[in-house]
Amino acid sequence: MNNKNTNKESVSFGKKVLSFVQNNSVPLMFVLICIICIPISGFSVSYLVNEIVTRMGRNIFLILCLLFPIMAGMGLNFGMTLGAMAGEIALIFVADWQVWGIPGVVLAMILSIPFSVLLGMLCGKLLNMSKGREMITSYIISFFINGVYQLIVLYMMGPVIPIKHFSLKLPRGYGIRNTVSLLNMRQCVDNLLAVNIGGVKIPVLTFIIIALFCLFIVWFRKTKLGQDMRAVGQDMEVARDAGIKVERTRIISIVMSTVFSGIGMIIYLQNMGNIATYSSHSQIGMFCIAALLVGGASVDRASIGNVFLGVILFHTMFIVAPSAGAKITGDSMIGEYFRVFVSYAVITVALIMYETKKRKQKSRLGQQLAREQLEEEKK
Amino acid sequence: MNRTKTLLIRVCTVLVLAAIAVLMYFLGRGHTVYFDNKKLEYNGTTYDTPYKVEVYVGGERIAKLYDRERGATTCIGANFSMELVVTQEKGGSEQTFSYSFKLPYSMDGIVYNLPGLLAGLPEEAIMSEFVSTVEEVPADEEVVTDEFGMTMDGMDESADPDSAAAG
Repeated sequence: MNNKNTNKESVSFGKKVLSFVQNNSVPLMFVLICIICIPISGFSVSYLVNEIVTRMGRNIFLILCLLFPIMAGMGLNFGMTLGAMAGEIALIFVADWQVWGIPGVVLAMILSIPFSVLLGMLCGKLLNMSKGREMITSYIISFFINGVYQLIVLYMMGPVIPIKHFSLKLPRGYGIRNTVSLLNMRQCVDNLLAVNIGGVKIPVLTFIIIALFCLFIVWFRKTKLGQDMRAVGQDMEVARDAGIKVERTRIISIVMSTVFSGIGMIIYLQNMGNIATYSSHSQIGMFCIAALLVGGASVDRASIGNVFLGVILFHTMFIVAPSAGAKITGDSMIGEYFRVFVSYAVITVALIMYETKKRKQKSRLGQQLAREQLEEEKK
Repeated sequence: MNRTKTLLIRVCTVLVLAAIAVLMYFLGRGHTVYFDNKKLEYNGTTYDTPYKVEVYVGGERIAKLYDRERGATTCIGANFSMELVVTQEKGGSEQTFSYSFKLPYSMDGIVYNLPGLLAGLPEEAIMSEFVSTVEEVPADEEVVTDEFGMTMDGMDESADPDSAAAG
């Protein structure tokens, strides 16, 4: 009797472990990669921690923006690039007006909001037209808006939109240079209230901003709008029947994501100290999404914890991979390629896993329905 | 009633944000302030340079200027204060003077003539806009990116971007 119970317990424990591994396969894989690569890379603990803390301050705000569309069932918002472009445009203006330091950052954040709202509304409306295909649509929209951005920044800034400083303009007299220096606001948010503990610089103000944003997300989930978003995310038809304006709610989620990603991009760029005008935004969506998925999120479920875990694991891998690659193979480029292909692979695997799970669930439900029908017929 | 309230809240939010933006514009307006220790001619009088002028801003010495030398500092906001420690002749005693200015919003770079300033000349005599005579060509290739900074053709352009980003 006792043996049977023990057997049952061990079987259920085994099942639990298996389901835990299945559900967290991506984070576990990254933990394994990091455990293998960290000692090989030869980096000191303080260097690693310093790098990870810097990257957390730089990226977390951007990745948190992805939670709103996931809440509304719109999947991973590749359209966050739109907000990043809005942030960049605001920073170009602020750099031209010579507004420096924290006031420059705040001004850029406020200035990015109208651009982000407009782009978010456009994106939201287009995504409402392509329900069920939001991710691919938002991905393509980001390319479309990137073209518009280049048209504005490359041809209209100067002759149409006034840009005063020649240091920003291309030698031909119009269009913005490939690099815009943010030297006078470089790390101004990170350095204010910064604390140095054991050689590790902790950007306290940046973390306070991130903490406030996390609290906002927690509070927002409990509001009427937040509940509506979750209802829409679970089932649009049920939500519509319950009197929720589904389309409007979806647009709001995208607008919120875009606005916050604009602000996040400004935090990111003030840390970098310059804007790569035509490329800063291009891959940001991809890498933020990869980091979120590494943290154990999926297309339809993500939390603040996933964001933090994702940033730590993904960026640890990014820091140690080139060095580890160089030590193992003698060529640092192997590590460079490794970390790039891993980030794309994570997105691919996550999307496949999501689809597989969805299909399995559908077929299970179908089988259950068939069984119930058979039983009814027998009766 | 509810709609009016919502509209009112929205309008107020926009106005508050606009007000903060305007405030930030004035608070954060950056200037580069140059100090010239050069002879000045004004209304037929020549104002000679002291032997040495040390410029202190916020308690920190930012320039030590001899005859025909120029120093510079940056300043955020319109209010600018500095202290000048002046040595009129070699081996002479030092005198300290404090000055405060309201920097004009319309100028990015402002040049102050120190002999004129020490002589107590009016602002239009000692202050001028800095105009660069050298055409500045920023080095476009010095882009600091992290691993995510891709060039337009999609290739990673940074060899060791992390150290630069962390710096």
